[in-house]
Amino acid sequence: MTTMERTHAPILKVRNAAISYETRHTDVEAVRDVSFDVHRAETFGVVGESGCGKSTVAFGIVDFLGPNGKIVGGSIKFQGQELVGRSQDELRKLRGDQISMVYQDPMQALNPSVTIGDQLAEVLTVHRGIPKPEAWQKSIDMLDRVYMPDSANVMKRYPHQISGGQQQRVVIAMALLNNPALLIMDEPTTALDVTVEAVVLDLIEDLKRDFDTGIVYITHDLGVVARVCNYVGVMYAGEMVEVGSVESIYANPMHPYTQGLMRCVPKLGATKESSILYPIRGRVPAPQDRPKGACIFAPRCDYATDRCHNEKPQLRQLETGHSARCFYSETIDAGTWEPPAGLVPEFEADVGQEDGREPIIRLSEVKTYYEQESKSLLSLVGAGEKRYVKAVDDVSLEVPPNKTLGIVGESGCGKSTLAKTIIGLETPRDGKAQFLGFDLTVPVSGRDVKLIEELQMVFQNPDSTMNPSYSVGHQIGRPLRRFNVVPKDQVRDEVVRLLNAVRLDGSYYKRLPRQLSGGEKQRVGIARAFASRPDLVLCDEPVSALDVSVQAAVLNLLLEIQRDYGTTMMFIAHDLSVVRFFSDYVAVMYLGHIVEIGPAEAIYAPPYQPYTEALLSAVPIPDPTAEQKHIRLHGTVPSALDPPSGCPFHTRCPRRDLLPDGGKICEEQIPQWQYNSEEHRIFCHIPLEELRKIEPVVTSD
Amino acid sequence: MLVKDYMTRHPVMAEPTMSIVEAQHIMAETRVRHLPVVKTGKRLVGLVTRQTMRIPPTDLASLNVWEITRFLSNLTLEDVMVMRENVITTRPDVALEEAAKAMTSGKVGCLPVLEDDVVIGIITEVDMMTQLTELLGGNVEGVRATIRMPNRKGELAKVTGAISEQGWGIYASGGVQTPKDPDHWDCVLKVRDVPKEDLLSVLRSIDGHEVIDVR
Repeated sequence: MTTMERTHAPILKVRNAAISYETRHTDVEAVRDVSFDVHRAETFGVVGESGCGKSTVAFGIVDFLGPNGKIVGGSIKFQGQELVGRSQDELRKLRGDQISMVYQDPMQALNPSVTIGDQLAEVLTVHRGIPKPEAWQKSIDMLDRVYMPDSANVMKRYPHQISGGQQQRVVIAMALLNNPALLIMDEPTTALDVTVEAVVLDLIEDLKRDFDTGIVYITHDLGVVARVCNYVGVMYAGEMVEVGSVESIYANPMHPYTQGLMRCVPKLGATKESSILYPIRGRVPAPQDRPKGACIFAPRCDYATDRCHNEKPQLRQLETGHSARCFYSETIDAGTWEPPAGLVPEFEADVGQEDGREPIIRLSEVKTYYEQESKSLLSLVGAGEKRYVKAVDDVSLEVPPNKTLGIVGESGCGKSTLAKTIIGLETPRDGKAQFLGFDLTVPVSGRDVKLIEELQMVFQNPDSTMNPSYSVGHQIGRPLRRFNVVPKDQVRDEVVRLLNAVRLDGSYYKRLPRQLSGGEKQRVGIARAFASRPDLVLCDEPVSALDVSVQAAVLNLLLEIQRDYGTTMMFIAHDLSVVRFFSDYVAVMYLGHIVEIGPAEAIYAPPYQPYTEALLSAVPIPDPTAEQKHIRLHGTVPSALDPPSGCPFHTRCPRRDLLPDGGKICEEQIPQWQYNSEEHRIFCHIPLEELRKIEPVVTSD
Repeated sequence: MLVKDYMTRHPVMAEPTMSIVEAQHIMAETRVRHLPVVKTGKRLVGLVTRQTMRIPPTDLASLNVWEITRFLSNLTLEDVMVMRENVITTRPDVALEEAAKAMTSGKVGCLPVLEDDVVIGIITEVDMMTQLTELLGGNVEGVRATIRMPNRKGELAKVTGAISEQGWGIYASGGVQTPKDPDHWDCVLKVRDVPKEDLLSVLRSIDGHEVIDVR
């Protein structure tokens, strides 16, 4: 991305803004001393971990802070007009006419009981007084503009009748209908699948160019920032610690916090053997605990000196257009950074690798279907035709002991159903599933305690899987007692030992889940899963709800425990960089089928199954200089109730034209497995020789 | 070259009830000289420029300092703006030269760009000047030659033909009728990556053409 020459004054100019929330005790200073500019046709990214005040800044711009929020200092100028101190009435007019917002969850921005057409047209009839038929037509044009397929019909539908990616496009279209000068986007793609996200990010890029809109883009994802932003502000604990162009920040991060963030995210292609993730020690302080009169990052900074603890650094310009809030930015060289002792576990070289051992788990042609109520009258008497959602269809895989199998795919592809089938919450209709000699087709209620003991799970959302009224110690102790892992009188010691293993101290024993942060809860979830010393642990998106620095710590922890206990893992995730980093083997799922499976390094290099290729080209890479192929999938995942004939991917496959007749065979016949190597197989009609000729998706300097 | 490609989208705008002092402040802050005045929905109701904000002394009852202050602080844009019906405007799909003509004939420095009476942009003298610079290749390095040729068909083709024969490329060009000489035409060319002497000798070899300036 090139930086355009600026002939105009900035659209938005924020200077030393401070925002507080009133609470019963005192005012909590959520954001202080934030300054940045947003120019037309440029995207200013605000990144940071949760609780750093990113969204508060966005809401503060339009004073959307709720009854207890207030701007206590500084100035926010939009097109030269001061916004601080304006009445809600004036701001409302401005919000409708010149500033628009797009939020994370499109379902919350859309009214579920009003058709999309009415919601869109209302923007024009209310704000501009355009007659309804004309407003309707303009809305259709705008939907076309955001690449909505079949826009005229979408207008008549209700929000729940379109997919998440389409909903977000409707919200973006609605935001653009009034041709705003400034667009505020708060994590607009976080709730979307990676392939949908890629399309929405492309759209934002196009719209910025065509409409000359200035965008404030809030996200926690460093890969997304690298793809869409021109300028970046890194926020930490309510302050902006570094501001600069995206190229200079990624090439040369100057603040220790930014450097730390960069070390937390796995690069696409990084493996656990070749690289280590370094979490940032400690955690973001709560607003009332922030150091006063000192550098806010000092308690977590490896370079902190006495000066950092006694004096507050100012944001100062170090290069043209690149500033950082650090005393020592010139002297700190991120390249020579050494992790402090104990930050990351020391892994010894792999010992005891016994290749060729029997797989610990083996599934063959497993099918899990959900029965669908038929609407016909016959079904009332049980004579109707039964229809099935084929959530998992013909899945065969095996995992050797002490290895990790990563499972990736878009939402709705059957990843979680597969996990539920293995854990016994769903019963497969057909196929064989063996685990250590146990039969896995038995539902969990009929399983042997020994099997349950050996097969545990870490869930995505630690909040909903922990009982809020039991203490941490009680919850971890429960599997210990249930499976008699240790004698009853040693349960407490064992719990403390497990807590230590997940790097929490014994004082957490008595805490309740609500007293823990998200990362700590997930650690407790991991401790609980490993309490019975299982042989296989299923991890269903264990880090996707966590901040990057916490994510790095949790991933390291899982790796460490895996090495210590020799546990086998199945790791379900949508983040392909994380899966690549964490897994030895990867399976790519689409519409209930595994379409490619093999050793991780083979999946991320040609030959690719076309779906894998599309997934890889959609992943946002935290490196603005990396070259990535531009493949975008159109349409949505077809319904599993009525899957396409032949190859399930043929309706969206971008590589069909490699076959004669435009891939007629893909519609007619189910592909055969093609073996690239003994372990790496691809589910596609296109001959391997053709697939091998395809260039790698990502090339970086 | 249409207005929509060269206008400034999202111009700084003001409301009719805004005080003239605040408007001046905004104009200074954002370095603009023209403020379209809009009501709800960005509908144009008038235009304010620095010119219109000059208050003729005859409007003041006296030159008393307090009197002037009071007078100024009560003024809003409504009182000083050019009313909608007197504002010359344009549309986004108008050719650039048409817009320029409207500006020169109306002797105005800017045209609000409207779509259904809603302000979607503004095009000013500065935008026009920027495009003139671009049109003549003012922002690139190269040799600039002005050639005077007879005013008849096929003459320009001789020049472009001769240049392309050499494998050179014309980056920018423009032509006007020679001032006070309707029989001739002056053509300006910007050619990149070519030594001045080589270009000159090629241009001089064309019959009936006169190279009147090279730089």
